[in-house]
Amino acid sequence: MYLGGLIRKEFGRIRSDKRTLILLFVIPVILIFVFGLTTGGGLTKFFTSAIITLDDMPTYDNFPSNSSEYDDTFISIMQYNTSSWGFHSYYNATDLEEYDNAFQNCYDILRSGDIDIIIVLPRNFSESVENKTNPVLIYHIDASDPAAITAIEVAIQEPIALFRAETDMIANFTIMVPYLEFDVPFWESAILNYALPLILPIIILGTTMNLTSLSIVSEGPLPRMLITPTAKREIILSKLIANSVIMLLQSTEIFVLTAFFGLYSLGSLFYFFLVLIMIGFSGICIGLFISALSPTEQSANQMYLIMFIIIILFSGSILPLGDIEGGMQIFMNMLPLSNAVPLITDITLKGLPLNLTSLFWLNLSSSIYVILAYIIYMFKKLEV
Amino acid sequence: MVDVNNLNVKFGEKHVVHDVSFTVDKGEIIGLFGISGAGKTTIVRVLTCQIEKKHWTGNVMVTGLSPEKKSNHSKILSNIGYVPQLELLNLYFELDPMVNVEVFTSTYGMNKKRAKETAEELFKILDIPRDTWKKRVEKMSGGEKKRLSMAIGLIHNPDVLFLDEPTTGVDASKRYDILSYLKKLNQKLNTTMFIITHDLESALICDKVAILKDGRLLEFDTSQNLISSLPSEGLIARFTIEDLNEKLIAFIKKFPSIRRIIRVGNEAIEVLMENFEENLPKLIEYMVDNNITITSMSKDIATFRRYFQIRIQKEEEEESSLKEVKVIRK
Ligand SMILES: Nc1ncnc2c1ncn2[C@@H]1O[C@H](COP(=O)(O)OP(=O)(O)OP(=O)(O)O)[C@@H](O)[C@H]1O
Ligand SMILES: [Mg+2]
Repeated sequence: MYLGGLIRKEFGRIRSDKRTLILLFVIPVILIFVFGLTTGGGLTKFFTSAIITLDDMPTYDNFPSNSSEYDDTFISIMQYNTSSWGFHSYYNATDLEEYDNAFQNCYDILRSGDIDIIIVLPRNFSESVENKTNPVLIYHIDASDPAAITAIEVAIQEPIALFRAETDMIANFTIMVPYLEFDVPFWESAILNYALPLILPIIILGTTMNLTSLSIVSEGPLPRMLITPTAKREIILSKLIANSVIMLLQSTEIFVLTAFFGLYSLGSLFYFFLVLIMIGFSGICIGLFISALSPTEQSANQMYLIMFIIIILFSGSILPLGDIEGGMQIFMNMLPLSNAVPLITDITLKGLPLNLTSLFWLNLSSSIYVILAYIIYMFKKLEV
Repeated sequence: MVDVNNLNVKFGEKHVVHDVSFTVDKGEIIGLFGISGAGKTTIVRVLTCQIEKKHWTGNVMVTGLSPEKKSNHSKILSNIGYVPQLELLNLYFELDPMVNVEVFTSTYGMNKKRAKETAEELFKILDIPRDTWKKRVEKMSGGEKKRLSMAIGLIHNPDVLFLDEPTTGVDASKRYDILSYLKKLNQKLNTTMFIITHDLESALICDKVAILKDGRLLEFDTSQNLISSLPSEGLIARFTIEDLNEKLIAFIKKFPSIRRIIRVGNEAIEVLMENFEENLPKLIEYMVDNNITITSMSKDIATFRRYFQIRIQKEEEEESSLKEVKVIRK
C-alpha cells in the first residue's frame, strides 16, 4: 500500500477548501465565545421570589437558645442580602391547610408573572441545619421558559452560599426540583455549560460531516485513480485518515476553547475529550457515507442538510421522545446525537463515568456508516 | 505490446464489440477511429482492466499479461498510463503540478527523487513553464493543463499510453501542437500509444489506424496502405460545378469507370475512378459534352479523412443491400 501520496492529496484538497476550513475552525470559536460571554460567570437576570415556610423548629431543651429559626435567616437573606433576587412575600404555614392556601396564593402570583419562583422550606429545615444534615429546599418555577429554568438554577446558588456563610454550614443543600438534577456553581459560566452538551456535538458533527460530505463526489480524478494500481479501499482509508487528523485538530481546539471559557466538568476531562473525538469521527463517517451515496455535489449538499436536520430532531434534546423502544430505539441509536448529548451531559454536569452503552452505540453507528460508504463506493460505477 | 484476438464484448443482450483482433508493437502509435458508439472506449476499457471478465471473451494480452486474471490487474495498471479526455478527470486542480506528480507516482510506489526527475524531464519536453510548477493547476492555461495531463499519464514511464480524445475541443492551431508533442514523446520515450479519437487529422501521427463501426473492426493498417487501396491508389479529382444538384451527380455517376462520387460542398464533388490518368480527360470531355459547367478542377491524393468517409459509406451501403436481400428473402 502506498498511502502516503493519497493522504498528502487529501490534505492538499482540504487545505484548498477555505470555506470548509473556516467552518471547521472559526465557527466553533465564535459560538463558544458567544455562549461563554453571555453569562461570563456573572448573573445578569433579576428574579423575584415568594417563600412559604413550613419550618416548625421545636425548642427542645437540648438545643442551645441561639438556635433561632433558620428559615428566618434564609428569608432575610432573600429579602435584603442578595444581588440577583427580589422579594415579594413570605408565608408561614403550620399545617397542611395553611400550606395549601399559601401555595394557591403563590401559584396565582407565579402565574401572573409577578414572581418567578416559589421557594418552600420544609418542616425540618432548621432542624437539619442544626443537625448538620442536608437541609432540603424545594422550589417551583414557571417551567414554560426553559431559559429561566437554567438561570434560576444558577441564581439560587447565591442566597444558598450566603446562607451557608451566615450559618457556618458544612453540609450542602439538597435542592429539589423534579426536572433539574444537576447544577453548575454560580461562579462558572452557566449558559455555556448547560449549552455544551447539545451545542458541542452539533458543532462538531455539523462541521465534520461538512468536511467529508463532498470528499468523494467532488473528486474528479477519482475514477482515474482506479486506472493506477491503487485499490478502492486505500482511497477510502486515506480519506478516513486525513480527515480524522483534521478532526483531531478541531476537537483539540474546541476542548481548549471550552476550558478557556469556563468549562465546568464534574467528570473526567479526558473522557470529555474522548467523546468529542468520537463525535467528530461519527461526523466523518456519515459525511463519507453521504459522499459515496450522492451522484452529484448538489445532491450531497441536500442529503447533508436532510441528515443533519434528522439527526438534530431525533437527538432526544429537541423533541421530547422520552424512553422509546423497539425499532425507533435502533433508529435513534444510528443517529449520533441521541448518544452524544447524554454522554457529554453525564460527564460534565453529572460527573458520571463514561456510559459504555452509549459509547458502544455511537461507535457502532460510525462503523456502520463507514462500512456502508465503503460498500457503496465499491459498487459505484466510476468511469473516466 | 498489445495483442487482441477475437475480442467480443457483451453487456447483457447488447453485443458491443464483435470479433476484434489486432496486434500492436512497441513504440507504435495507434489511432482508434469510429463514429460515436463504435466501441472505441469499450475496447480501451477492456485493455485497461475496467470491464469485468464476465462481459467479454477472447484472448487479450497487454504488456504480456492478460486482464482476464484479476491478479494481473495491478501489474498491467503499472505498465500502462491513461489520459482522460477532460483534464479535470486527471488532475487535482486545487493542488500544484508537483503535488499532482507526487500523488500519482506514489500510487506506483515510485520514490520521490525519481518521480521529481521524471516530472522535470517530461515538463521540459512538454514546455510546461517552470513558474507554474508550484502554482495551483487551476491557474494554468488550457494548453498547459492539457500538456500536464499528458505528463501525468506518462509519469511512471508506462509501456503503453491510452489517450481519450486528446484533440477534441481544442482549436485547430493547438491541435497540431498537441499532436506534435505526442509524436515527440513517442520518439523520445518509445511509448506505445493508443489514441481514441473522432479527429481524423490525428491520423497524421499514427503508425497504424483502426477503423471501427458498430463494434466491428473494419480496417487496421497504416493510413498510407489504406489510402493506396482505393481505386487508382487514392487519386482524386475535385470539381466545382455550377448549379450542382443530386440529379447532376447521378448523371455524372453514369460515366463507366467512376467508382465513387462524394459531394464535399455546395458546388463541389470529388471523384474516384479506375485508371485515373487515362480516364480523367475522358470524364471532363463527357461533362463538357453534356453542358455541365465546370468552374474549377484539381487533382489530389485522398486524405485519411476522405478515406474514412468512403470506407464508412461503403460499409453502410453494404449493410443496406444486405437488409434488402433479407427483405426479399422473406
Ligand atoms: N456498461 C455498458 N453497458 C451497456 N452498454 C454499454 C456499456 N458501455 C458501453 N455500452 C454501449 O456500447 C456501445 C459502444 O460504446 P463506446 O463507449 O465503446 O463507444 P465509443 O466508440 O467510445 O463512442 P464515443 O465516440 O461516443 O465515445 C454503445 O452503444 C454503448 O451504449
Ligand atoms: Mg468513447
